[in-house]
Amino acid sequence: MTRPDADVLIAGGGLAAQRCCETLRRQGFGGRIVVLCEEPTAPYDRPPLSKAVLSDERERRTPTLKPAEWYAEHGVELLLGVAARELDPARRLLTLRERRGTGAAGRLRYRELVIATGSRPRRLPGLELGGVAHELRTHADALALRAALRERDGRLAVLGAGLVGMEVAAAARGLGREVTLIEAAATPLARALPPALGYWIARLHREHGVEVRLASSVERVSLRGSTARLELSDGSTVDADTVLVAAGTAPATEWLATSGLGPGAIPTDAAGRTAHPGVYAAGDAARFPDPYLGERVPSQHWEAAVRQGTAVARAIVGLAPAEPVPPMFWSDQHGHRIQLVGHAPPDCEIELDGNPTAGSGQFAAWITRAGRPIGALLVDRPDALQHARQWIAAAHAGHTAQPTTANHRNTPAGPGPSDTRRAA
Amino acid sequence: MTCLPIIDESACLAHGDCEALAPDVFRVDDVATVIGIGTAEQLIAIAQACPACAISVVDEATGEQVYP
Repeated sequence: MTRPDADVLIAGGGLAAQRCCETLRRQGFGGRIVVLCEEPTAPYDRPPLSKAVLSDERERRTPTLKPAEWYAEHGVELLLGVAARELDPARRLLTLRERRGTGAAGRLRYRELVIATGSRPRRLPGLELGGVAHELRTHADALALRAALRERDGRLAVLGAGLVGMEVAAAARGLGREVTLIEAAATPLARALPPALGYWIARLHREHGVEVRLASSVERVSLRGSTARLELSDGSTVDADTVLVAAGTAPATEWLATSGLGPGAIPTDAAGRTAHPGVYAAGDAARFPDPYLGERVPSQHWEAAVRQGTAVARAIVGLAPAEPVPPMFWSDQHGHRIQLVGHAPPDCEIELDGNPTAGSGQFAAWITRAGRPIGALLVDRPDALQHARQWIAAAHAGHTAQPTTANHRNTPAGPGPSDTRRAA
Repeated sequence: MTCLPIIDESACLAHGDCEALAPDVFRVDDVATVIGIGTAEQLIAIAQACPACAISVVDEATGEQVYP
């Protein structure tokens, strides 16, 4: 090959890209690393966008993952405001696009390419953005949403009871706004949690004054001045001067259409390799194998981006991926920390440790399927997470781990018919 | 009781909350490393704040685990 412009070219400048760079340098990779950042900023952290950025008015800085000097110090070249436009995997050429343009803006030849372009919020037809309706993906989105929440005093309508929608609903209540959370499924987080656990989250929001409308979709929207009137599937209406569309995300992989990869999240092996030699994928744009489920699943969670970005870097330098651990996500809502480790499919059995209906809302739900440990939902029970991981991993490894915690003080009793109370 | 935090490196994903809360005890580069000690109360609170729950706390004198 003629000399490449980048030994590792990373399309996308988010968390997966950042962790890939860090791991490459940590493992001694000395080649040229170029990162295409569609946004005009170095890689930054998204979880604060639906939490502290909304609730803390004074904070205007982008929550960048590393200080600006890090990139020069580690020889990582950021191209800001530059996106991937087209891929020719046979010739290892990536065509670029300036963020505000649509035409080609140069090409880069790479030795290895990492697809880390993330995902975009799903849009609902009939709702124009700007003015009343918002989405929340970027820091700019978060600042605009924060301004709307602080400057207006009418109702916030949140479309979609996923993690982002629920965190914004909680933040808005903290700012004193009236909030209606509208979810098309029967319970929040319907794809991640069985109804009994999803319903607990709906109740948590109701206890904090959020109007939760489940099994409801928006049939029609009309704008009257600066107020949106949403007509729901049951015929009722919700008037709101701020609307957040938080109805999920779709992988940002349309640019790969001519390359033979996609549509949707790009399938990979456990090391992040795609079907094309020299092309990897990580983060929201990827579909890694989940050894616990036995199939590839896309994940839009923070932990997945970190682990996958790291795995790709390890593959590039010739290391095997790290040992898999059960996947996990966390969410902070109304002052409670919610963590799901492993999986909670619709046909699971649940054993409760603690009382979800008590005022403190603190509990652990131990999740099994056909008797095998597969997951745990923890609410304000961070003490139980390490144990939950081991419980699930050991079962996966083929042993039946007795969840004994007798050696540790202040640890939860494991699940079992006679022992569902937390140790004192 | 003086306590020492222990990092589970396979669970640590370098969120950085521990360093933000106690920069004299934790330093986060690629993973968190322990550079100091603290009281049980302080360290347990930080362990509970870690989103990955990668921190255990032991009694510095006896090595006995006090959290989780």
